[in-house]
Amino acid sequence: MSFPVAYPLILGAILFALGLYGALTQRNAIRILMCVELMLNAVNINLIAFGSTLQAATAGQLFALFVMTVAAAEVALALAIILILARREKHIDIERVNLLRW
Amino acid sequence: MDLSRVTFLTLAALATVSAFRVVTASKIMHAALWLGFTFLMVAGVFLTMGAEFLAAAQVLIYVGAVTTIILFGIMLSEAAEVRGGRDPVAPTTPKGPAIIRRFILPIVATLAFAAIMIFVYSQAPWPDASAAPAGDTVRLLGSALFTDYVVPFELAAVLLLVALVGAIAIAVRDDHKEEQG
Repeated sequence: MSFPVAYPLILGAILFALGLYGALTQRNAIRILMCVELMLNAVNINLIAFGSTLQAATAGQLFALFVMTVAAAEVALALAIILILARREKHIDIERVNLLRW
Repeated sequence: MDLSRVTFLTLAALATVSAFRVVTASKIMHAALWLGFTFLMVAGVFLTMGAEFLAAAQVLIYVGAVTTIILFGIMLSEAAEVRGGRDPVAPTTPKGPAIIRRFILPIVATLAFAAIMIFVYSQAPWPDASAAPAGDTVRLLGSALFTDYVVPFELAAVLLLVALVGAIAIAVRDDHKEEQG
C-alpha cells in the first residue's frame, strides 16, 4: 500500500454507514440482506487495512476470508428463509411479518 | 499522486456511488446489480492493498455466488416486479409516528457513526504504511491456514456444510407441509 492506511479505513466506514442506513430504513427483506452484505464487505476492507498496517497481513487477510465464509453461509440460509416467507405470506415486507413476534 | 493512490481513489469513489445506488435504487433488481458492481470495485480495492488472493476470492464468492443467489431469490420471491410491475414494498417516505423510527433515527445513527469513525481514523497516529509483504501472499495464506488457523478452517468447513444442509432442509420441509395442508 503506497497510500495512507486511513484511506481504506474511511472507505470501509462510508460503505458500512451506507449499509447500516439501508438495513435500518428498508422494508424489503432481500434489500436488507444486500445491505448486510455491504456491511460485511466494508468490515473486510478494514480487516485487510489493519492487517497490513500492524505487520500482520496474513492474519488480517485470513480473518477477512473467514468473514467471507460466514457471509456465504448466511446469504444461503437467509434466502431460504425469505423464499419460505414469500411462499407462505405472499410478501417479504418485514414490517408486516410477525410470525416470531412474541 | 502516484498511480496506486489514483487507482484506489477511483475504485473507492465508484464503490461508494454504487453502494449508494444499492440503498436508493427504486427497483430491487437494479439494486442487486449495483451490489455486484460494488463487490467488483471492492475486489479492486483489495488488489490495491496487496491482497491478491482475497481479491480473487471476492470475485468468486461475492460477484459469482452471492450476487447470483440474491438475483435468484428476487426472481423467485418477487415475480410481479421482475415481470415489470411495481415494487410491492418500494422504499417510501414514512408518515406519522413511524417517521422517527424509520427516517430520523437511522439518519442520525448513520451520520453519527460515519462522523465518529472518519474523525478517529483521520486523527489517529497511524504507523507509516508498511511495504507490501514481499513474496506471494497466497503461499503465506495457505501455510497459515493449515498450521496456525487449522481449527477455524475446519470449523468453517463444518459451518458451510451445516448451512448447505440447513438451507435445503428448510425449503424442502416447507414444501412438504404445504402439500399436506
